[in-house]
Amino acid sequence: MRTLPMALLVFLLAGCAGVAKVESGERGLGERMLVSLDGPWNKVSAPDREPAEVWTMEGRPVDELLIYSGIKNEQVIHATAMGANRKNFAFRSGMQPDEIVAMFEGMLTRDGSTFKLVKLAPADFGGAKGFRFEYALTRKVDNVQLSGLGFGTVSGGELFALLYQAPRLAFFPRHQPQVEKMARSARIKT
Amino acid sequence: MKRRDFLAGGCAGCASLLPGLAAAQPAWEIPARFARPDAGSDEGGLWSMMDREEVRLRKSPFSLRDPKLQAYVQDIACRLAGEHCPDVRVHLVRTPLFNASMAPNGMMQVWSGLMLRVDNEAQLAAVLGHEIGHYLARHSVERLRDAKSRSAFGMFIGMFGAVGQLGQLGLIAGMFAYSREHETQADSIGVLLMRKAGYDAAEAAKVWENLQLEMKARPDGDASRSPFFATHPPAAERQQALAELARASPGGAANEAQWREGVKPFLRDWLHEEVKRGQHEESLALLGRMIARSPAAADYRWARGEVYRLRARDGDLDSAVADYLAAVADGGEPPDTHRGLGMIYRARRQSPEARTSFQRYLELAPEAPDSALIKSYVEELRT
Repeated sequence: MRTLPMALLVFLLAGCAGVAKVESGERGLGERMLVSLDGPWNKVSAPDREPAEVWTMEGRPVDELLIYSGIKNEQVIHATAMGANRKNFAFRSGMQPDEIVAMFEGMLTRDGSTFKLVKLAPADFGGAKGFRFEYALTRKVDNVQLSGLGFGTVSGGELFALLYQAPRLAFFPRHQPQVEKMARSARIKT
Repeated sequence: MKRRDFLAGGCAGCASLLPGLAAAQPAWEIPARFARPDAGSDEGGLWSMMDREEVRLRKSPFSLRDPKLQAYVQDIACRLAGEHCPDVRVHLVRTPLFNASMAPNGMMQVWSGLMLRVDNEAQLAAVLGHEIGHYLARHSVERLRDAKSRSAFGMFIGMFGAVGQLGQLGLIAGMFAYSREHETQADSIGVLLMRKAGYDAAEAAKVWENLQLEMKARPDGDASRSPFFATHPPAAERQQALAELARASPGGAANEAQWREGVKPFLRDWLHEEVKRGQHEESLALLGRMIARSPAAADYRWARGEVYRLRARDGDLDSAVADYLAAVADGGEPPDTHRGLGMIYRARRQSPEARTSFQRYLELAPEAPDSALIKSYVEELRT
């Protein structure tokens, strides 16, 4: 019977090790992107979202900020055993904004969730011409309706993007201004 | 009933439907309507659990609430279920995968991905008849007893937060994963019900033949990835068995025109969801088959054009343009056809063609969510 408390302890410690505080101020995202933060975030370990860095305010799965910094041509995104084998959802340098959004849509609906594009418009991001999009996502696992916001650009053949999604009634409006501000502060080093 | 007796009864029923074996076995008969099991029994508990799930399903944003389509599919289910009709409640679910299921309390789920893939009423009846077969043979009772040990395991791993969530999801997914014997028996009962309802049982084998096309197209070629096939007999084996059963009693209706008309209002949405799954090879296999069957259908041409454009391998953009132009020639094409053309022409620096296509898209879909982006392209192409 000693095994159970030990296993529980290992899991709890593993959980602690998976979260790190991101302090406010200027922060580097990957090797080439910088953002300025008004307040602290929590960075969590999320192998299912790699190569994205995952931050959260409320804790997953409530909300998540997905940060893609310097995704290279043909790099598979959100690779699972299935995704990697099937070589779907790989970024290509020549992708247009609508194709990048379609790629995110495919990744976010892999579990049967539904995605509805609300708006897609040109917007500067990271100091380059890019795009901004809004979407509504209904999560299959719990039927929760989320709102989402994304920014992206392709610079030097690499993808830089931020996606934030949270339950639409309370959490999304609460954190949207910070995400917008963070996106406006983003700079890509050339 | 003990498991062994039950299986023996089930196999007898199965065999009775196979030519040459029927004479040696007692015929399987459709049982009378089931009474609700005692709430204190394990089966009663399972029904209560499914009742709660059905309440949740009714409120789900994934529920496809269209009274006309719901009544249409419910009617097909009722023709198959016969006197059990009042106990079978069809719920249409918006999920772009091939799947249907039936719970022991009579809750039947039919996913939009299944409705997209069947060619006619008879093919849908084959799948629904199969699920009703599980229900009539009460396979879930046996599954319940098997699941008990897994429940204990699920509760155990449920102590560990996220790990527990994954465990429970797997548990729910596996709840109605029947044994191969049960699947074979449900196929046989399904064919029997199809015949009684006046459907052409030969269409049942075509369901699996069509699905094999998609499975073979997958880069990993792994059929077990599909929720419907995880525990089912291989499609090829199943197709052969069903074809053999159908040969014993040819004839019956397929009702293709009625089916096409019934699902027409939903086709574009379902195709959109299919395209956005990002499983390009499967989608191309499916859409190629659909186009061969209905060559003048602009929606299928548009959808295949989209898949080619998003896959963008060698030669794909040429194929996409050909499909988009064929959709325009057919008439009644989705507005997105012109958007897709514009995107390809723009990438190829064919500015006049790109501008014309984008303008046509904006005329047809002025409120499109990406209209701001497309307007910026039109401006860019003027210079």
